[in-house]
Amino acid sequence: MTKKLKSDDGNDSDELQALFDSIASAPSRPGPQSIPKPSVNDAGGDDSELQALFDAVASEFEVGRGEAPIEPGPGSDRGGGADADAGRRADLVFNRIGVMTRQVHDTLGALGADGTLHEAVKAMPDVRQRLDYITQMTEQAASRVLNATDIAKPLQDAVAGDAATLERKWERLYANELSVEEFKALADETRGFIGRVGRSSKATRDQLLEIMMAQDFQDLTGQVIKRVVELAQMLESELLGVLLEVTPPEKRLPKRAGLMNGPVINARGRDDVVTSQEQVDDLLDSLGF
Amino acid sequence: MSDPKMKFLVVDDFSTMRRIVRNLLKELGFSNVDEAEDGVVALQKLEAGDFDFVVTDWNMPNMDGLTLLQRIRQSPSHKHLPVLMITAEAKKENIIAAAQAGASGYIVKPFTAATLSEKLDKIFEKMGKK
Repeated sequence: MTKKLKSDDGNDSDELQALFDSIASAPSRPGPQSIPKPSVNDAGGDDSELQALFDAVASEFEVGRGEAPIEPGPGSDRGGGADADAGRRADLVFNRIGVMTRQVHDTLGALGADGTLHEAVKAMPDVRQRLDYITQMTEQAASRVLNATDIAKPLQDAVAGDAATLERKWERLYANELSVEEFKALADETRGFIGRVGRSSKATRDQLLEIMMAQDFQDLTGQVIKRVVELAQMLESELLGVLLEVTPPEKRLPKRAGLMNGPVINARGRDDVVTSQEQVDDLLDSLGF
Repeated sequence: MSDPKMKFLVVDDFSTMRRIVRNLLKELGFSNVDEAEDGVVALQKLEAGDFDFVVTDWNMPNMDGLTLLQRIRQSPSHKHLPVLMITAEAKKENIIAAAQAGASGYIVKPFTAATLSEKLDKIFEKMGKK
């Protein structure tokens, strides 16, 4: 490779340029104008090397195309058809690389310029915390509700059981099967039951209130989820932009489908999912399971 | 066939869901219930205890419900265990995959107590015929 490296240049775009030149001149290119000087080569900015490389590639392509159309013109020193073909292929490749380089360069520049990606990266730890918070809040709410039902259910079971027992005794009373002593005992029992119903009802009502209050997570997590969704949307569009710009169409991967997709958030317009237990049963029936 | 002493294993990575299923089973008269948080723990518990019924989620860490089902069906000692899947996976290919792997029933979340009761009855009915 080229040996001349001016050490006090402070800029290695010369080296890059030399590397590029050595590659670009490999196919038999005519004339000195096929190795143009990069138009932007100021030693200042960080991206001047990239810029120089891009400009070199781009102008190389333009020069090649402008001067040598499909048919080799008179006075061209090319050997024959095979050489011309190789030249065109090289042109295509360089053009492709040039365009891609420009796109990557522009995209990275744009991302840096308005700082969205930077913002997104900074926001990631915050998002993790927010999601942790949601998990915590929903789990807490679920536990509160389950605890409340654990307390209320035995209370209601006791009331229902006592009521059934008393009802049977009152049936017997109305069938004239109770003695006076038994009737007095029944009256006492019934009085006690009425007192218990009042207390149980109040205790159950407290638990219903607790269940209601446990739903306050919805408001809090709702706000947090909204923030996270906004951030995800921003990240998605930025990353999608980068991907679309640098991935050639034939390289795009087909959508991957797996068996662990979680709940169906939006079933509208989809025929590969079921939306009710009946559909599950019908499907299984139709398959003979 | 539905013996109230039947021993259930409820497999789900969310403790809330395990608790709900456990409560529903209790409501239906089955109070002999143990829990596992994933397929790996479930297999360990199946080896250790004499379970009669497995209720499992699909999407879990370490070992998912479908793999658990397949492992149960491959095991000489457990292959006859009824396995009911209760899962949020609602794609038709999921349901078909579960049925082909030998699931005894498939319930899509969110589900109701009535659905669980109905599916259990259906499975007991089939078991009784065998």
